[in-house]
Amino acid sequence: MRNAIVLRLVMGMVALLGWAGAARAATAPGLDAWLRQAGFGPHQEARFDPEALYQKAKAEGRVTVYSYSSRIVEVAKTFEQRYPGIKVQAFDLDSAEIVTKVLAEQSAKNYAADVVYMKDPATALHALKNPGHLVAYVPGDLVPLLRPEYREPFLIHHLSFDVLVHNSGGEAKAPVSSLWDLTKPEWQGRVQFPDPQVLPEFTEVLTTIVQHSPEMAKEYERVFGKPLQLGPGVPDVGREWIRRILANKVTVAKSTNDVAKAVGRAEPARAPIGFTAMSRLRDKEKDPKLQFDVAYDLQPVAAVTTGVLLAVPAYAPHPAAAKLLIRWLMGDAKGGEGYKPYFVLGDAPTRSDQPLPSGMRAIERRWHADPSYVWANGRAVLDFWLANLK
Amino acid sequence: MEQATTIPLRARVNRAAYFLRLPRVSLGLALLVLLLFLVTLPCLLLLAATLTWDVGDIRLSPAARPGAFTLFHWWRVFASDLGEAIFYRPLVRSLATSVSVGLLAVGLGAGLAWMTTRTDLPGRRLVAAMATVPYILPSYTFALAWLTLFRTERLGGGAGLLRYVTGLDPPEWLAYGFVPIVATLTLHYAPFTYLLVSGALASVDAQLEEAGEVLGASRRTILRRITFPLVLPALLSGFILTFSRAVGTFGTPYFLGAPVRYFTLSTTIYSSMVTRTFATGYILAVVLIAASALVIYANQQLIGSRRSFVTIGGKGFRSARMRLGRWRAPAALVSWALVLMAAVAPLLLLAWQTLMRYPDDYSLGNLTLHYWIGGSDPRLAEGEMGILRNDAILGGAWNSLRLSVVVAAIGGILGILVGYAVVAGRRGWLARLLEQQAFLPYLIPSIAFGALYLSIFSKSLGPLPALYGTFLILVLACVAKNLPFSARAGISAMLQVGGELEEAATVAGASWLRRFGRIVLPLSLRGSLAGFLLIFVTTMRELSLIILLITPETRTLTTMTFRYMEQGYAQFADAIILLIVAMVLAGDLLARRLGRLELGT
Repeated sequence: MRNAIVLRLVMGMVALLGWAGAARAATAPGLDAWLRQAGFGPHQEARFDPEALYQKAKAEGRVTVYSYSSRIVEVAKTFEQRYPGIKVQAFDLDSAEIVTKVLAEQSAKNYAADVVYMKDPATALHALKNPGHLVAYVPGDLVPLLRPEYREPFLIHHLSFDVLVHNSGGEAKAPVSSLWDLTKPEWQGRVQFPDPQVLPEFTEVLTTIVQHSPEMAKEYERVFGKPLQLGPGVPDVGREWIRRILANKVTVAKSTNDVAKAVGRAEPARAPIGFTAMSRLRDKEKDPKLQFDVAYDLQPVAAVTTGVLLAVPAYAPHPAAAKLLIRWLMGDAKGGEGYKPYFVLGDAPTRSDQPLPSGMRAIERRWHADPSYVWANGRAVLDFWLANLK
Repeated sequence: MEQATTIPLRARVNRAAYFLRLPRVSLGLALLVLLLFLVTLPCLLLLAATLTWDVGDIRLSPAARPGAFTLFHWWRVFASDLGEAIFYRPLVRSLATSVSVGLLAVGLGAGLAWMTTRTDLPGRRLVAAMATVPYILPSYTFALAWLTLFRTERLGGGAGLLRYVTGLDPPEWLAYGFVPIVATLTLHYAPFTYLLVSGALASVDAQLEEAGEVLGASRRTILRRITFPLVLPALLSGFILTFSRAVGTFGTPYFLGAPVRYFTLSTTIYSSMVTRTFATGYILAVVLIAASALVIYANQQLIGSRRSFVTIGGKGFRSARMRLGRWRAPAALVSWALVLMAAVAPLLLLAWQTLMRYPDDYSLGNLTLHYWIGGSDPRLAEGEMGILRNDAILGGAWNSLRLSVVVAAIGGILGILVGYAVVAGRRGWLARLLEQQAFLPYLIPSIAFGALYLSIFSKSLGPLPALYGTFLILVLACVAKNLPFSARAGISAMLQVGGELEEAATVAGASWLRRFGRIVLPLSLRGSLAGFLLIFVTTMRELSLIILLITPETRTLTTMTFRYMEQGYAQFADAIILLIVAMVLAGDLLARRLGRLELGT
């Protein structure tokens, strides 16, 4: 028995040492050398020269991309046709899984990924980019076409809109006009919200609503004609809204797809309303029985937008091919083959020269999720959601 | 003075040397080292992580200093305002559902096992073949089927079948929460007990029961006093495996519980991993480990020393079937209904779904083979080709097969070795330690286990190079995670092999290797076959464990289904599930055939 205890202790110490070693491996002396050689950061070439990059990328032979979206498969096909000799290894993962894998590769110094294409810019910025695990890359020719917030801290590929949808089978008009309507008794048990614990973009939505508490307060007065009384222990108006929709028995959905189906396939008279990704609108083409539309006139805001980013992990083994692939994904003024899979209802391009996809109504009244605010407050907001989720 | 200390020392050294030369001891020690590496090391790392600030914890507390020691996470789970939401309530629900599932699944599985192996139930061969099917299906398949039947307005998405037929919404307790979770998981996990108990019953010599009959015992007394005690170890193993599996499963409680906010520990752990609050997830995992350690302890108290029976002896063997008499028709009806409900209905539903152009449209005009053999059509599923023409999916099928076979072989043999070492040294600390070690992986949620392996083996470890991206890391993770199965199967099998045969061989001068290879292994193979099969099946459907460890070259079928499911291409997802089922059934048939050849019956 004593032997076993000693053995366990020794193994435990070895394990803890290994753990500590992993924690310290973060600073890399060779980073600047890699940046120089691969041409990133201060060493990036000023002009985007696809032919020169193609020659280098052909020598690299392949490029590995971790993507939050399966549509990357189509991008890979068109990229391989346009640039023969470069094989794309597309890897379809959740954004959280991408973070975990990149962190593991960085600490193992076993660099596999060349491009990450993911949601959740807050985590990408603070857990990956700031510690030096991720570098930004904006192709030179695109700089004049992108607003600063789509170039810094990352290249934003497109904006994803999270909106409130309603059934459009009977009335074309939305049955609610304000976010505060969702707290009224007639919507008890009839509001769907995707699980923010599983879909980080809905933590962004909640946190952004909290960030805009002053607007939410004003809107409350407009709807109810009196100032809002915060519940006991509730620090701000945004959280009070969260507390009230939870108290009103909001249904926690497991995916945006489920919300679209619950709203769009229900009997119009009894249909619920719910938050979902605006890009679910394209499901209507696939399934004619889905009848739902966006509540475009919702007050005080009709959409929360969040960026989908493109970046390169430090020490990526195929940097030239990574640059080419990122540029391919950004498409051209008409959309372009590389951007085509994303040129759909509900996803808005960030390039100022690209039109909105046909049939997509612009939503001007929108709040953009701020990565720094979400990073600083998102967890607390999610904890508040959990504590009130009885 | 000097002499006085050297003599006992030498004696002690001699004793130790003798002790070490015993095969069960040297084997046990070697296994212990292996398990420490595969199992205990990850557990210690897990524990260390709960006591350390992580990079992301800056979001939880301004006091966070990444890498430094802290008790914050433990405080957060047990004592903060969040405790009730993320710990106490989920714990109660986890225990309530898992214990219920454990009891019901053992009853169901054992009942079916007894009827198919020991009675004249009509159609028992077919029932036996179908009884294992539910376990092959991903567990959330049942949840989805349940929702198709009982969906209410709360989830919307078109009426459930019940509402469609009766025009009434089913009550909420029937649609979501405790009842459906227990019902679907029971159907899914009953095969565990079925396999273990039918293995045990198959090796019970009917002469034992006949002896009772000769002595004038009633049928019920024979069941109670002879058959039941003989299969008790298998029943308890079944309960433990079912309990721990049910406690750790994510899909079903999530699909059926979340709409009414019925969260369990496993769904909370999963969301902790997804929201990258790993320490919270790990602490909840530690709670699961502690709870299940209690269950193992209770089990050892029950069967550890007294309650095991040698049923494979050196004498003749015969099995006979009991006549069910007037119970034959009702028993048949119930068995057939169960098997239909658990095995046939979900498969039919899945098959139907793969043929539907648009999901949820059950009209005939909607049928198509597109998702099986279609070319690229940009209007459907983003232009992906049917699965039988899709190179990526066929490559995934090959990887799944390769992984499952390798893991089943390595895991199964490891299980027999552990079983031997545990049973041979049943009263020693070594045996107990081995048994506990072998059970540990079950309690670590798959997704956490995957994350741990990723962090341990993504850098070189002593003589071992970095394994990230290799096939080997998948094998190691799956073998380790399946140890509880393989070890339980190995132990159950070994408990039934009497010592007399090996003793006879020892007397005749056979070496240990020869005794093990010629006597112990062949005799325990029949019982262990169930173990091999379980590992093969489990690995075939494994998802959360390996999702973080795969790279483009090593991806498997399951990692593709969940994606398709999430993106709403139920047709592709279901088609791949059917492909998995077909591969598993083929493996099952092959294993049974091999098993029969091996035993020469």
